[in-house]
Amino acid sequence: MNDIVYDVIIVGAGPAGLAAALYTSRDRLKTLMLEKLMPGGQITTTDRIENYPGIERIEGPTLIEQMQKQVTNFGAEIKNGSEVTKLEKLKNSQFIIYCDQDKYAARAVILAPGSSYRKLGVPGEEEFRNAGAGVSYCGTCDAPFFRGKHVVSIGGGNTAVEETLHLAKYADKVTMIHRRDEFRASKVLVEELLAKANEPNSNLIIKYNAVAAAIQGKDRVQSVRLKNVKTNKEEDYSCDGVFIFIGMVSNTDFLKGFVELTDRGFIKCDCAYLRTSVPGVFVAGDCRAGAAMQLATAVGDGVVAAMMLKEYYRNPAWWKEPVSDQFSPSGW
Amino acid sequence: MEANMTIDIKDETFENEVLKSKVPVLVDFWAPWCGPCIMAAPVLEKIAGEYQGRLKVCKLDVDQARQIAIEHGIMSIPTLNIFKNGQVVDQIVGVTPRYESDLKKKIEPLLE
Repeated sequence: MNDIVYDVIIVGAGPAGLAAALYTSRDRLKTLMLEKLMPGGQITTTDRIENYPGIERIEGPTLIEQMQKQVTNFGAEIKNGSEVTKLEKLKNSQFIIYCDQDKYAARAVILAPGSSYRKLGVPGEEEFRNAGAGVSYCGTCDAPFFRGKHVVSIGGGNTAVEETLHLAKYADKVTMIHRRDEFRASKVLVEELLAKANEPNSNLIIKYNAVAAAIQGKDRVQSVRLKNVKTNKEEDYSCDGVFIFIGMVSNTDFLKGFVELTDRGFIKCDCAYLRTSVPGVFVAGDCRAGAAMQLATAVGDGVVAAMMLKEYYRNPAWWKEPVSDQFSPSGW
Repeated sequence: MEANMTIDIKDETFENEVLKSKVPVLVDFWAPWCGPCIMAAPVLEKIAGEYQGRLKVCKLDVDQARQIAIEHGIMSIPTLNIFKNGQVVDQIVGVTPRYESDLKKKIEPLLE
């Protein structure tokens, strides 16, 4: 280990982590970001962001490139391919963060590890996924492999709608399976989806009140066992691939035993100053309890965590103080 | 981390680089339009550097080397196929939450 003690180490370089790093590095705090892959996280897989205030429309990767440039210009260090495996708090209140063979020291930590694809948990899913035989969680990645084929997409949120529309550009036929009788995705997207499905001879079919009970086939996906949740009637529905878009789970496995997590794996915090159960460890973004799971709110979290850092440096006892309307962060 | 420790392969170079290799080969089936593939690249560079001489890491752009991708039944990217003595001995589909650790778990037992 080198002798550098960083003012702050940020775990995860998605929008939350990058926003935090912008504030800390611009405030001349010695900042290190540890990213297990490359900066960006989930947002890099979207090609249309239309709800980030002030920017009419931008692609995920472009926004991330700009955010990254902004933080490194202010002196933040980003280490890619650095998967954090363990964190430790020493008696002198310093933190040691382990990445494979490397370790780093810091005065404080901001956790922004984000989330990954949620699994459906039905028979066939793991098997066909691991065999690369027709189960996918990424439409933008895998749609081109299904040219001329019939695919089933599962889900009803924003990602599901966006990705299903993308699939319909490649596949011969797309059947969207949704467990409710209406969509909860944002209106703009739902309108676009329904317009596409209502086109004459559309290749997009929507099946409401339906869930997938199993994914079936010999060597590769050949059908999905569908169950109607209203009638309980089941049918084998033939298809060549299944795309699953049912949300995300937080990447917090490596934090078990270090900070308190909720039953569903989110990082517990005070939801205002973003303090976790461990003094000196803040949280930001999708992985925290109560997160709104939006790009703009993740960025907001990053800023809050960065601002609160200085309160902690100044007075570590502040950690135990309740959330109060008398409080405002100073020094910014 | 050293850059460009990985080898780009095409349909024509696949046999020599991969099938005839004396050491195990990790082949990354990827494409430039695949976000997770791009995100995973630093991990593969790191693996290529760490196992240099004992494992070869090759990158195969599925748009450039279509034939090989079809022959291997690739339906999802990134897919990593691990070849030993010309045979596929293991596979990892997609970017798992603990990608680097997961890759190493698959690679270690295959090395001499």
